[in-house]
Amino acid sequence: MGDILGLVAKRLGLGLLTLLVVSVLIFFAVELLPGDIAEAVLGQAATEETVAALREQMGLDRPAPVRYLEWLAGAVTGDFGVSLISGDRVTEAISGRFVNTLFLAAYAAVIAVPFAIILGIIVALLRNSIFDRVANVLTLTSISSPEFFLGYILILYLAVKTSMFPAIASLSTDMTFAELLHRTFLPALTLVLVVTAHMMRMTRAAIINLLASPYIEMARLKGTPPWKVIVRHALPNAWAPIINVVALNLAYLITGVVLVEVVFVYPGIGQLLVDAVAKRDFPIVQACCLIFAATFILLNLAADVGSILTNPRLRHPK
Amino acid sequence: MSFFVIGYYALLIGASCLAAYYKQRSVFMLLFSLTLVSFVVGIVGGVGALRFITTAAGALALAAGTSYAFREFLIAITSGGVAKELRTAPLTAAFGMFVIFTYAIAGIFAPWIAPFGESEVISSAFAPADENMLLGADQLGRDMFSRIIYGARNTVGLALVATMLAFLAGALAGLLAAVKGGWFDQLMGRVADVIMSVPSLIFALLILSIFGTNLTTIVIVVAVIYSPRVFRLTRAVAGNVVVMDYIEAAKLRGEGDWYLIRKEILPNSTAPLVAEFGLEFCFVFLLIAGLSFLGLGIQPPTADWGSMVRENATLISFGDITPLIPAAAIALLTVAVNFVVDWMLFRSSGLKEQ
Repeated sequence: MGDILGLVAKRLGLGLLTLLVVSVLIFFAVELLPGDIAEAVLGQAATEETVAALREQMGLDRPAPVRYLEWLAGAVTGDFGVSLISGDRVTEAISGRFVNTLFLAAYAAVIAVPFAIILGIIVALLRNSIFDRVANVLTLTSISSPEFFLGYILILYLAVKTSMFPAIASLSTDMTFAELLHRTFLPALTLVLVVTAHMMRMTRAAIINLLASPYIEMARLKGTPPWKVIVRHALPNAWAPIINVVALNLAYLITGVVLVEVVFVYPGIGQLLVDAVAKRDFPIVQACCLIFAATFILLNLAADVGSILTNPRLRHPK
Repeated sequence: MSFFVIGYYALLIGASCLAAYYKQRSVFMLLFSLTLVSFVVGIVGGVGALRFITTAAGALALAAGTSYAFREFLIAITSGGVAKELRTAPLTAAFGMFVIFTYAIAGIFAPWIAPFGESEVISSAFAPADENMLLGADQLGRDMFSRIIYGARNTVGLALVATMLAFLAGALAGLLAAVKGGWFDQLMGRVADVIMSVPSLIFALLILSIFGTNLTTIVIVVAVIYSPRVFRLTRAVAGNVVVMDYIEAAKLRGEGDWYLIRKEILPNSTAPLVAEFGLEFCFVFLLIAGLSFLGLGIQPPTADWGSMVRENATLISFGDITPLIPAAAIALLTVAVNFVVDWMLFRSSGLKEQ
């Protein structure tokens, strides 16, 4: 077990290091601004005094590395500074929306993961049949469509023409859980469609990859029925790649969620990020980017650690 | 029960019986499962749903026919090795090539095909389609059809330029890293790791918030975001070639790095690189479309598919499909490129088990 713990610890350390480098990147990207933040925010018309006042207020007179360390220390304790436009605390603007975004991603994941894995296994079982071909074309189409295309199609057919679900996912605090699920069904479904297609293809590829191994051929030669070959022989070894696939696709959800939130006017962190980018509200942009990047890195880390932990060769060393 | 419904089922059941009689197992399974699905759909959705299935099947048949004819056309105008390769192309790949061909024509000859200019206001806002305007007018009264044609030039052109830049940078770095090895290889690998550990859309939003949205920035940002993917693939492919004996021989002859890359490594790694170019184009195209949709891509009044969707999105709530057309144009091109890439990957990998 010592080996495996060492491997996991090494991977965790590498993940933390990546996160640190990314935080440096996010912070110093803003330093690349022509002039500085104060000039960029106030624009050309600002007088010398107002620029100087804002600089002092934001602490821009101190060297950048010092400000970076302060920002990082703040970010770790959940304090991202003050919004340039509204003057509110960034943490307050983000926290509620972050929960909403996590809810949407979790909603989509709970539907998509079992669905995609089961479909992927079925398609791997029926490979090269006409169903496999149809599934291939359908998943390819779903992957190739921009999220807003799928979103608007769902709005058109499920919200406007048949009014089964609301087109705009506005949330309020006094909603029951069932109502919440109903309100957020369309954005979740859009994410499900994209992620399921990805996951299905990758699950299928992972299983078919395994089916080429000699021990599967042995099982087939001794007369085991095809479904049993997959469920009893291939699947236990396929868990590592499948866990990888799931984590990678959850990471993919992070990007997809930005576009979907804009389409459905969902009050999440992606919408906030897009607004902040348009208004050039840098503290919010930095905070949102850091949160998205951290989630992405953590999920990738989970994928790696998961595949280390489910690898039988590493779990039972000789 | 209308005549349409009776005819519909008679045709399906007749066709499945014929398929079964001629022992076409997969065709029979498809037709008969379609019949069974139609029972359920017909009961739930009524005649309208069956009509929809018929239209879809008709469209599918039309697409299949077009792709078959286009493949034959391509085989006829090419000769030798290319024609032989084309014969192995599945219909989906032929369909992809046909769509790419159509888009290329629309993009290149946009000013001659489009009836109006891309920013020419010719009627009132959201005017419905008439004999003058094929698809009606957009939110400022510009011709939707002309803007879609011009969009083929602007959106696809921008994506193509960005892809080429990403590809050049990534492939060059990958080849150099494979040939030189050592610290250069390590450094480039770590840089690629860092860039790839930030989600692409988020990275693009961060940079665009700082430098503002203009075409040069977009092209450079997108190229920087996607070149690590090309770098990794090129590094892996070239890494396998570099250890070959003929590279060793060339090195002993005293050839320089540039000669090795150009004459020895590149010719032996084109197939996966070409396929990667197609995939890369899809990613870049979707990212640029997403940015435009968020209002951070190509700026108005230039016609662009992503921003056209957003500007006309209000029409959706009136049940009008016009804003979906540019979105569908994006999806169709990406699907088409993916179909062609799928076939190329299949051919170059030689994996018959997949």
